Amino acid sequence: MTLLSLNGTVAGEWGLLGENEAPAEGANVAVSLERFLSAEEEFFESAGAVGVLVDTETSYTDLAPLVNKLSFVAIDFPAFTDGRGFSLAVRLRKDLGFKGEIRATGHAIPDQALFLLRAGFDTAEVADERKEAFENALSRFSNFYQADYQGRASVAHERHTPNEHRKAS
Amino acid sequence: MYAYDAYDHALVKSRVAEFRDQVERRVKGELTEEEFRPLRLMNGLYLQLHAYMLRVAVPYGTMSADQMRRLAHVARKYDKGYGHFTTRQNIQYNWPKLSETPDILDELAEVEMHAIQTSGNCIRNVTTDQFAGATADEVADPRPYAELLRQWSTFHPEFSFLPRKFKFAITGAATDRAAVKWHDIGLIVKKNDAGEIGFEVLVGGGMGRTPVIGKTIREFLPEADFLSYQEAILRVYNEHGRRDNKYKARIKILVEAMGVEEFQRQVEEEWQRIKHIPIDVPAEEIARINAFFTPPPLPVLDDNVPSVDDLARKNFVFASWLKNNTNPHKVPGHVNVTISLKPHGGIPGDATDAQMDLVAALADEYSQSEIRVSHEQNLILPHVAKKDLAAIWTDLDEAGLGTANVGLLTDMIACPGLDYCALANARSIPIAQAITKRFDDMKRLQDIGPLKVKMSGCINSCGHHHAGHIGILGVDRKGEESYQLLLGGSGAEDASKAAILGPGFNEHDIVDALEKVVAVYLGEREEGEEFLATYRRVGQQVFKEAVYDAA
Repeated sequence: MTLLSLNGTVAGEWGLLGENEAPAEGANVAVSLERFLSAEEEFFESAGAVGVLVDTETSYTDLAPLVNKLSFVAIDFPAFTDGRGFSLAVRLRKDLGFKGEIRATGHAIPDQALFLLRAGFDTAEVADERKEAFENALSRFSNFYQADYQGRASVAHERHTPNEHRKAS
Repeated sequence: MYAYDAYDHALVKSRVAEFRDQVERRVKGELTEEEFRPLRLMNGLYLQLHAYMLRVAVPYGTMSADQMRRLAHVARKYDKGYGHFTTRQNIQYNWPKLSETPDILDELAEVEMHAIQTSGNCIRNVTTDQFAGATADEVADPRPYAELLRQWSTFHPEFSFLPRKFKFAITGAATDRAAVKWHDIGLIVKKNDAGEIGFEVLVGGGMGRTPVIGKTIREFLPEADFLSYQEAILRVYNEHGRRDNKYKARIKILVEAMGVEEFQRQVEEEWQRIKHIPIDVPAEEIARINAFFTPPPLPVLDDNVPSVDDLARKNFVFASWLKNNTNPHKVPGHVNVTISLKPHGGIPGDATDAQMDLVAALADEYSQSEIRVSHEQNLILPHVAKKDLAAIWTDLDEAGLGTANVGLLTDMIACPGLDYCALANARSIPIAQAITKRFDDMKRLQDIGPLKVKMSGCINSCGHHHAGHIGILGVDRKGEESYQLLLGGSGAEDASKAAILGPGFNEHDIVDALEKVVAVYLGEREEGEEFLATYRRVGQQVFKEAVYDAA
């Protein structure tokens, strides 16, 4: 497996904590959603940055109350056809204003690289032999009919924006 | 009609390059068939019984003469010389080679056409009234809004991997020719007292194995909020639609399970949250798109044309064609002509390359180079001057396109069925052929009057049998093809679900059974009463007795 940056963000290092394992003082750790939701104040005080691993069954409303304590979210795709992962990323970014790293894990395919990027994912965990196909797919399109969460305007807006104010495309 | 700018061209060209790469990776084994399948489907490429099938989008059923000529060229060069127009106003090619499909898409891109999202679990081609922008009974042309939907839904980062396919239909007329109540989202263009454009929004309609008529969740959605509201609906569906069972994954099941009030509440809540973000396009963009749909400057002409009347007096078929195959236009002295793709004994919706070329030539000469496809699988020449009707019909008739049956019993919708389709349980085409041959008598058809027969070769109901005045559903019964008869459906503004009459028939008896249904109608009808009205008045029982007691 390789960690691929979709938008230039350097992939963070998140130590995965077992269910009863305590974080080392100041360490960046990632835990299951269950542990994250039930963690006491001292857990967050002793750890450095805290991340969470979720699957596509997770509703963003579960994360909403704790988003300000969160620095990293890994969304696991059980199947690449499960589009809920894209919505979850969009909602984290747009509805909850999450600024930390969002990573795609599990079954995503190279042809989804731009969908992931545009939904708000920063990084993806991909099979080594697919890294090149993922990278190629990232430059496949240069304009989009929708605004994305990397700050790029939609074609509909770009059409009516004077050139000098246009976002890079 | 809409013309691509540099952005649209770049997107479609990039898509063709992407698809070419996907085909190459599949051939080299870098993509598994499981992974390639949804990717090719999102580009309209199916693997059917005998070959690949490519479905090309005709966005909201509108195309130019040049585009039609290109479709004819594709049929000639890459297929067996014909194509099949579908109930989603698209065209399907039945015999392309996988390796040549990127070349087909390249050729289509040159004339601003594509196969994007004509299949797959994503937002499909938006359908609309085939007479949009040209009919006398219209509040506003719905096509600019269909184009907005096309752009918004193309490669949407959130909604390209939905629980199941998702279909929009939009109409701008009081008479619903787009079956909006039978769609995942149906939209009706309206004007408020101030003359501002808005939309009635219906959700949760659909056919398939669980037919449901859509329910209104917004009476008047302002134009400025058009796209953000659709986005809110799709968000609720994408998060909560079932993914464990593909037969229960459509939005209609979610709306039924949640209750329409709760669904509506969640959509409104979602919409309040997202409407501030730039989903809706600026007013200048709506104006830009609207400008492409400015009605052509037609002269006001006399509605009485002696030469046409003369031919109609002498020729019964032409007189029938005038009555059935033309529709009132906004501008006096003009009509919209429907070209029937339902010759008696033919394959519903099929057209040869030569026929497509002829329609393109007629469009250049008589209809502002514009052509439409209807969801009833016919072609339309809009904006035709009445004085040209005799010349047009003569050319059409010589090419086998002069059938005068639009809206009558033999103007059947039929899916490709088991002759082509990998999902079908029974053949549709031979049944349609037998029915249209049985009723091959214009005087008899004219006497029976408006009657919509719709046939599907399986429960997925691509042939809209649930919405047929008479529906026919092909099923597999212990390895034998069996055909069920359904009565009383409607796809129009008075939408209703057809009800199964009783046990199924074999391929011969179904034609007799249909004839008995027609005989009951003729016996029961009151002066001027159409089939559906008679059925609704007298009920199912009298039809049932006639069909089954005599059998």
